[in-house]
Amino acid sequence: MKYKDYYAALDVPRDADLDQIKKAYRKLARQYHPDVSKAADAEGRFKEAAEAYATLKNSEKRAAYDALGQPRPGEEFSPPPQWSRTHGQDASGFGDMDLEDLLAAMGQGRGAGHHSRRPEPGRDYEDTVHINLRDAQHGTELHLSLGDAHGERKLAVTIPIGVIAGQKLRLRGKGGPGRHGGENGDIYLHIAFKPDPIFRADRHDLYFELALAPWEAALGAELEVPTLDGKVLLTVPPGTRGGRKLRLRGRGLANPRGAAGDLYATVHIDIAPNPSEKELALYEELAALSRFDLRSHLNQELPHDPTTT
Amino acid sequence: MTLQQREWQWMDAGSPLSLMELSTMSSISASEIEELVGYGALHPLNEEQAAPQFSGTCVASLRTAGKLRRDYDLDLFTVVIMMDFLVRIETLESQLTTLRAKQPS
Repeated sequence: MKYKDYYAALDVPRDADLDQIKKAYRKLARQYHPDVSKAADAEGRFKEAAEAYATLKNSEKRAAYDALGQPRPGEEFSPPPQWSRTHGQDASGFGDMDLEDLLAAMGQGRGAGHHSRRPEPGRDYEDTVHINLRDAQHGTELHLSLGDAHGERKLAVTIPIGVIAGQKLRLRGKGGPGRHGGENGDIYLHIAFKPDPIFRADRHDLYFELALAPWEAALGAELEVPTLDGKVLLTVPPGTRGGRKLRLRGRGLANPRGAAGDLYATVHIDIAPNPSEKELALYEELAALSRFDLRSHLNQELPHDPTTT
Repeated sequence: MTLQQREWQWMDAGSPLSLMELSTMSSISASEIEELVGYGALHPLNEEQAAPQFSGTCVASLRTAGKLRRDYDLDLFTVVIMMDFLVRIETLESQLTTLRAKQPS
């Protein structure tokens, strides 16, 4: 077993009191927490600080640690005399332990007078998986790769039809192995959607942009539009205005617990970028003919506000 | 190894959890969860105090708050405060997703 200098890990003197130790740990935890730090070695530094703090904040474990003396960090060392007293003369099992285990065992040994190991649950894994909308619609199989001290493990998970972004999935007992009779950990998966070039999802409903030419909007049209299951015909009613949402009921994402979501086509009206002379002439004719004033509300006189000049 | 549907569980409103299940999943003791209920940070689905049931939707924020508590060695009342903010963030993220979906690109 290799010695680790927990005081150096927290950058505190060996006679530091609990407040100093706590403050030093929190400072390092804030600096290296894997959720906030972008440093390459953040996770390792955080774990190192957490291991040191777990021992030094506990008076029993700290006393057991101090009793180890001060070998050089990384130096191999033999079982301390206390280990032999509380665990017998045989040092078997010592080589399989890490320093944290040893200190926990010694701490318990001091209090209880015999060696007892409490069941420890296995590690939980938490991850966000990104799936595309078509896989959400039809179900898919995900391949997860879990890595820890016990090596790498591959796991295939069947994702059911009709999952939506933001859903959370628990895979019970598929996390890290429990120790000393503890239960295995779990895997928690957060479902997210990959960006789609056409559709945007809001729970089971889908939205997409439908561009219409001015005459399609004015006269109405029958158009082929995409859905996750192929193209369908959409009837654009005459007089459709920009920004209006045309609904295709039940053409959104499948919902295993109820009705499928809807598909909404959000209309925007566009014109040809380079109209021909004839097209321009027809627009001019329309402009001369039309009495449509879509800015009339901007020309209304506002009520007088005495506070302004 | 392929996991089939019977091996997983959705963490949503359709999956009520017992006190012990929530305790296992969040690594927060049952008595502390009861304390969180007392502070109003968690709301059981039923009024039955002897066997409270919780919505699966609270698991993610409770796990996050519990993890931050362990990682930074915080007290339980800090978990109460964190829960309020985590639930608020979750609600705002959901509203943002809805607005983005409806907003023309």
